[in-house]
Amino acid sequence: MKLRKFIQTIPMKIYVLLLAIVLFAFFSNDFGLVDIQKTAIILAAGIDKTENGFSLTAQIAVPKGSDRTTGGTSSVEIEAEGETVSDCISLIFSKTGWVPKLVFCDLIVLGEDAVKEDVIAYLNYFLRNEYMPDSCLLAVCEGKANELIASKSAIDDASSLAIEKLFSDAAVKSGKVVTNTLKDFAIGYYGVSGSGYLPFIRMTDQQGEQSDSSSGGGSGGSGGGDGGEMQKIYSAEETAIFQNGKMVGLLPREQTLAFSLLQGNVFTGTFNAEEDGKPVTLTVVRNKGGVSLNVKEAPMAELSLEVTVRLCCRGITAPIEDIASDRISGEIAASAKAALDGYVEGLWRTCKESGCDLFNLNRMLYRSSLKKYSVWKDSLLRSAKAKIETNVKSMK
Amino acid sequence: MTKIGRRQIYFFLACIAPVGKLVFLPAQLADVAKNDLLFPAAMQYLIQTAAVFCVLLLAKRGMNFFELLANTFGKIAARVLITVYAAFLFFAALLPLLEQKLFVQSVFYDTLPSLVAFAPFFLFTAYLCSKPLASYGRTWDILGPLAIVGFAGILAFSFGSADFAALLPVGAVGFGGIWKSAVSAFSWFFDAALLLPLLGKFDYEKGMAWKGALFYLAGGAAVLLFLAVFYGIFQETAVNQLFAFSTTSKYFSGITMLGRIDYIFIFTLGLVMAFYVTLPLQGGIECLLLAYGRKKYLPTALGVAVSAAFLTTVLLLDYRFGDVLKAITGAAAWIFPVFASALPALMLLLRRERRETA
Repeated sequence: MKLRKFIQTIPMKIYVLLLAIVLFAFFSNDFGLVDIQKTAIILAAGIDKTENGFSLTAQIAVPKGSDRTTGGTSSVEIEAEGETVSDCISLIFSKTGWVPKLVFCDLIVLGEDAVKEDVIAYLNYFLRNEYMPDSCLLAVCEGKANELIASKSAIDDASSLAIEKLFSDAAVKSGKVVTNTLKDFAIGYYGVSGSGYLPFIRMTDQQGEQSDSSSGGGSGGSGGGDGGEMQKIYSAEETAIFQNGKMVGLLPREQTLAFSLLQGNVFTGTFNAEEDGKPVTLTVVRNKGGVSLNVKEAPMAELSLEVTVRLCCRGITAPIEDIASDRISGEIAASAKAALDGYVEGLWRTCKESGCDLFNLNRMLYRSSLKKYSVWKDSLLRSAKAKIETNVKSMK
Repeated sequence: MTKIGRRQIYFFLACIAPVGKLVFLPAQLADVAKNDLLFPAAMQYLIQTAAVFCVLLLAKRGMNFFELLANTFGKIAARVLITVYAAFLFFAALLPLLEQKLFVQSVFYDTLPSLVAFAPFFLFTAYLCSKPLASYGRTWDILGPLAIVGFAGILAFSFGSADFAALLPVGAVGFGGIWKSAVSAFSWFFDAALLLPLLGKFDYEKGMAWKGALFYLAGGAAVLLFLAVFYGIFQETAVNQLFAFSTTSKYFSGITMLGRIDYIFIFTLGLVMAFYVTLPLQGGIECLLLAYGRKKYLPTALGVAVSAAFLTTVLLLDYRFGDVLKAITGAAAWIFPVFASALPALMLLLRRERRETA
């Protein structure tokens, strides 16, 4: 009887087992397998403006085979032109036979010409693509993005990986670099302030060094693997600022630092002050910053920052007792305050002159009072005055 | 007959029903209501809570859905009415099924999988639909805690990335915008309708109606909290985030070091959702069984037939999701409040005493 009952339930048991297997496969994401021979894993993309539309240079990771001597990541750069970014991606597919995969794309670089017009046209494809991570970093570069992406880095096999090192958490905390992602840039653009910022990358030759022809890039495309090409180093200490998607100004490194300090992001960053006319470098060990908008009467932007610093080094010889102390004198504190005041004032002036609502004053007003926003929305940045408060403290 | 426990009903109302509101609904609400998206959601929850309260009150009469109708209108009219209701439940199943399909294709795969990748899901629906409806209870006992863990994990990972000031100013789109957004969200609120086929399969206890309503409201509060976090993270770009609960947790700072560990919670909620989207199909089949009798192989045959029909429909509509969404949230949106809110309330007017012939 029991056996008969067991036999009767066998079809259902097989069904449930099959079901479990099928469901497991269904949720498996193909077990995460990526056929590297058929897939172009795009590490970074550089986009430039062309006469007919867009030029996209994709840096694609390629397998290095069993050669373990070089290590790192090998890459090849493929360029394609089209009327839309999607055209370019399709062209890369037809040129290489590799299916472009954007899920690992961590960097999009826009060329200098591209940012002269509304850059959302360049980013539209990436915002729509559900397989593209919107945490991907965005940047602008001097000259053409194609040249930057295809360049030979002096510090890494792939230029994109070298550039991403500039945007590390440590670099951001130093206050020398600001970073922005596709998502946050889009929020700024579509928000009531319509503003945004991106790091501005410059590329310089590594003096006295020649590329090793055996390392790095592969063949094909625009990048190529020219063994005689000069190796490059990159910097991103300046910041491009945007209004309605167009680049309207460039913050020099001091103003980039001021912007970072106002965001309260800086830890162990350094800046210079003076004592007796001689330079001293101070390290920021604590930073508080903020921007608020006061609209009780005429609009007033209140920019406040507070830094606690310690003496990092002097540009002169000093007795050992001085080296043993990291406190700063009143003169250094005053000099540091004056320096920071100057940076913040410069930053405010740049924003005002360029029309970039970098501090999202319109957004603050919109969120606090719709009525006042409707009155001030078109003239807020022009008419707002700034009240700058900086406070420099010595580490005890 | 195995009865569904009251605890299991509460699990459904508080933990499982909210999961169906975490995929397309947030972006749909943000499309019109923008930063005011909490208000249309709250309006919908209040309406649906009242409907849930009414259905649970109906349970007091000790009759099933068919008996309630037949008791007043007679068996023939009741069969017609309950068949229409089954058609509504099948219609209501379409959007959640398409949501589930697109969600899996987009979130669990990193390039678009083939069209038939979703087909095995209908083996699962066929199996569930062939089981007696009272088996819901055991499933909900497992899914309830899973949903809590999944939801709490996603929320914990997402909370720090949200800027709640983005929800200001309150009322920016005006009442018109909030109402328009609420109307477009009707298609996601039919949980009371899912309870109707369960009448007679659980015993009413004193205070169950208001307790059930409170549990449903608690689930609603969790959804509102998620909506606030969702809008706080994506702000003006929220309308572009179609798969809401799979997107909010990825900005957690630890993920850069640990990888997408939030997928554990996303998978968990995905699993709960797989059961939730099958409920309207099961409910529809149960309505037909109540009306036309529970013959030996009929549940299995109906389960297979309905699953095959939906597989065909989903394949046919694969490239027309935009049109389907527009129709269901636009011209056809009124169907949901009629069947899922007004009808349960009107059913309270049905004859209370059991007729001999019914």
